[in-house]
Amino acid sequence: MQLRGSRPAVLAGGAVIAALALAACSTPATTAPAAAGTATGTAGTSSASGTLNGSGSTFQLTFQQAAISAFKSVNSSMKVNYSGVGSGTGRANLAAGTVNFAGSDSPIPSSETASFNGKKVLYFPVLLGPIALAYNLPGVSSLKLTPTLIANIFQGKIKTWNDPAIASANPGVTLPSTAITIAVRSDSSGTTQNFTLFLKTAVPSVWALGSSSTVKWPGTARAASGNGGVAQVIKSTSGAIGYVDYTDAKATGLSMASVQNKSGDFVAPSPAGASAAGDGVTVAPDLTFHAVWAAGATAYPITYQSWDLVYAAQPSANDAAMLKDYLGYLLGPGQQLLTQLYYAPLPSSIQTKAQAQLSQITVAP
Amino acid sequence: MASATGQAVDLREPGGRRRATNQIMIGGMWLAFAVLLVPLGFVIVTVVSKGISAISWQFLTNGTIPPNILPVTEGGMGAAVVGTLEITAFAALLAIPLGVLAAVYISEYSDRHRWLTHLISFMADVMTGVPSIVMGLFIFTIWVLYFGYSGFAGSLALACLMLPTVIRSSYEMLRLVPDSLRQGSYALGATKARVTLTVVLPAAVGGIVSGALLAVARAAGETAPLLFTILTVESVNANLLSGPNTALATQIFVNATSPFQGAQARAWGAALTLIAIAFILMIAARFVTARFAKNSR
Amino acid sequence: MSAATAHAGPARPAGPASRLSLRRPFGDRAFNILALGSGLLVLVILVLIALTMTRQSTLWFRSEGWSGVFSTDWDPAHGKFGAMAFVFGTVITSVIAVIFAVPVSVGVALLLTEVLPRRWAQPVVYVIDLLAVVPSVVWGLWGILVLAPWLQPIYNAISSHVAGVPVLDDLFGGQPVSGAAFFTAGMILAVMITPIVTSLSREVIATVPVTDKEGAYALGATKWEMIRGAVWPHSQTGVVGAVLLGLGRAMGETIAAALVIGSSATVTSHLFFPGYSMPAVIANQFGEASGVMRSALIGLGVLLFFLTIIVNLAARSIVEWNDRRMKGA
Repeated sequence: MQLRGSRPAVLAGGAVIAALALAACSTPATTAPAAAGTATGTAGTSSASGTLNGSGSTFQLTFQQAAISAFKSVNSSMKVNYSGVGSGTGRANLAAGTVNFAGSDSPIPSSETASFNGKKVLYFPVLLGPIALAYNLPGVSSLKLTPTLIANIFQGKIKTWNDPAIASANPGVTLPSTAITIAVRSDSSGTTQNFTLFLKTAVPSVWALGSSSTVKWPGTARAASGNGGVAQVIKSTSGAIGYVDYTDAKATGLSMASVQNKSGDFVAPSPAGASAAGDGVTVAPDLTFHAVWAAGATAYPITYQSWDLVYAAQPSANDAAMLKDYLGYLLGPGQQLLTQLYYAPLPSSIQTKAQAQLSQITVAP
Repeated sequence: MASATGQAVDLREPGGRRRATNQIMIGGMWLAFAVLLVPLGFVIVTVVSKGISAISWQFLTNGTIPPNILPVTEGGMGAAVVGTLEITAFAALLAIPLGVLAAVYISEYSDRHRWLTHLISFMADVMTGVPSIVMGLFIFTIWVLYFGYSGFAGSLALACLMLPTVIRSSYEMLRLVPDSLRQGSYALGATKARVTLTVVLPAAVGGIVSGALLAVARAAGETAPLLFTILTVESVNANLLSGPNTALATQIFVNATSPFQGAQARAWGAALTLIAIAFILMIAARFVTARFAKNSR
Repeated sequence: MSAATAHAGPARPAGPASRLSLRRPFGDRAFNILALGSGLLVLVILVLIALTMTRQSTLWFRSEGWSGVFSTDWDPAHGKFGAMAFVFGTVITSVIAVIFAVPVSVGVALLLTEVLPRRWAQPVVYVIDLLAVVPSVVWGLWGILVLAPWLQPIYNAISSHVAGVPVLDDLFGGQPVSGAAFFTAGMILAVMITPIVTSLSREVIATVPVTDKEGAYALGATKWEMIRGAVWPHSQTGVVGAVLLGLGRAMGETIAAALVIGSSATVTSHLFFPGYSMPAVIANQFGEASGVMRSALIGLGVLLFFLTIIVNLAARSIVEWNDRRMKGA
């Protein structure tokens, strides 16, 4: 049977692809880039080896990337992967068993508990971090905002910067008459969830949009994808204000407002303020808590947290060992990486409890 | 050449309105091309200007994608390059033969099973409208939940995405092969299979391959289906069948929306790399097709 | 005939299959099964997609009810999951995309096949190829970083000029907030579907019999008249097929739309306002979704499915009606 034209063409095309793939496969031994910071860890005494997969919260992503990189020098026979697909998908992945641990900015909601089939899930808090109210207002270097002001701005009720309500919280500051552009997230996010949780908790009578990873913002809001996207909108639009993870606001070089906390003091976002908030939380026995609107004179009121979730009963001894190894690193030496990444480390009381909980990771019979 | 009535026929160009219409229409076609060049030029300039500074041999081959905060001089996108090439190549291997065969079925066997071929043809069109993200969710539901994240799952999702395009474009090409070719072949005593493989397919191969190429090009740049199937990790995984993988398209998306300079530079470098790879592949395949099409003419 | 039937070899005249199917050679039957299997695979995949997605979206229908599902109110924080704003956005952006893409694509296809000599056609084809290989995420990023900011003052200028004009104000008026809008998304989609519509149209137009074309020239037609009289009738069905393919692609485009459409679930006639489409909202909100919301997002995928079916049905009926008209009842 003669085949003219098509088969040789296909084979040649396939050969081109294969050649390129082979060339790419034969990469020289990869040099791991310098770790983000030095974290002295115990030399790898564990025998855990293999690949550990995690996915979930994008809030944790920067920390996970740095920790994974630094962890290579602690245990070189283990490979850890973490993908920032969102807390909801991370939890769903854990429920389905396609990952070893899930990063989540909030505890498992009641609508999802059924998917875990009654298996016990352990919560390991790993970090705290502020959500900054970043703004772009040339000439205004410091801005004070109360929760009521924030609620009204983000509901579109306060439309210009020189509104008397803002002026009264900022005596002595000349506010321009620029229109306020609110920058919000187009994608669902734990940042949105915790930001709106703050507003709902602090000023429930003023805030009407509810608290969720997705919120129906006023039609005049500018939506952008990711913290980086919102930061970009703020940076390029005069008169813009939005909520951004502190880490990302710092990286973009934005001005940030001081927010009035539960004690009435105006606190600027910082790792110290987040740690102070962490000191003031009430922790449940399963190590869940909410850091927003925490008590404390120096606490930053819009602080939130992230956990790594794992099953208490692991399918194999190696899986359990890998998790204990890596989570132990995150809760121990890994905490030293946090401040230079502009997160806040866990308060020591929570850290101790989390490290003690590691022993609850066992092998299923 | 005189007309039937004996009057002299004006052999010069048609006058006035007809000529003007002709020139306007042809001008319109050139305008269409110019309009096409504008966004292309813009986007190429944007990608090149933002991405060229990231490109280096290390960038293209280093198998470890560094944390977002690190500058672009650290690490590289080699892992994503390998991932994209492997996943897309395998997806093409799945989708193109199946798609062409399905198109053959619709076009050549429509005399035997009229309603079935019509149904399949209609459904192939419907499938073109399935969003890429739904394909990813679909493979996530039926494959990833049982077998875990892998490059193969990504290939499955991309193949599902490519299939309707390959079918529709191949079908259009097959449909345009003159029936006289087929009839002549049948008259010589050939079976349907032989007619299809030796007469119809070679006659349509140019269009089929170009349609397949476009499908592959789209697949290489798709992000959404991969987000649910490969888990976008940071190191090389040459094993398509087990373990999460990564690809240039997903890395672009993840890095470009990051606020860190290093990550953004890597994203644009990856974008430039992806466009370059896909373009080289397309040129190579078009060149090969042209040569073989010439041989068979 | 006696000479053919005297042969004992596998080659048989392939006449009406029913009479000869018992004696069809193995190769032919195997090929038949292979082709049939591939065709059926399409159905199998689609049925699987429909089944799995519908199963996962029943929670949405049960908790919202039909009136809730088809409302325009999408407010996850308050448990409202109405789909119409996204259906609207998908239709609008796809229509805009097709309106812009089809004239350009067909124009370039005609340019390539009828106007340009072969040597000049190659670079143009490479330009189309280059357009096709730009990844969708890059189009989205370019759209939001370059195109949208560039369009914003244009939108503002146009909307202030048409203020008060009856129809134009509804379409292009209002006070646009940013460059991310239905119209911007439509334009990006148009650029993205052009390569495939062009490429397929070009292949279709290129197969017009040379005799038809030469006949038209012989009658004294100009190039345009030849195109209209000889090329177009022969290739219009194929071009409509190409346009359908492009339309399907526009409706299903996810990442680029998600980045430039403005992410605002509102139904409005103002094309310069931010909007939302079904694939865009799935892309943006699936990562954090759970429970009813997750079911709702998957349900949107099902809705898009049906939308594609309706659109294809409509297009095919138009083509068939036109075919009958052209070729006589």
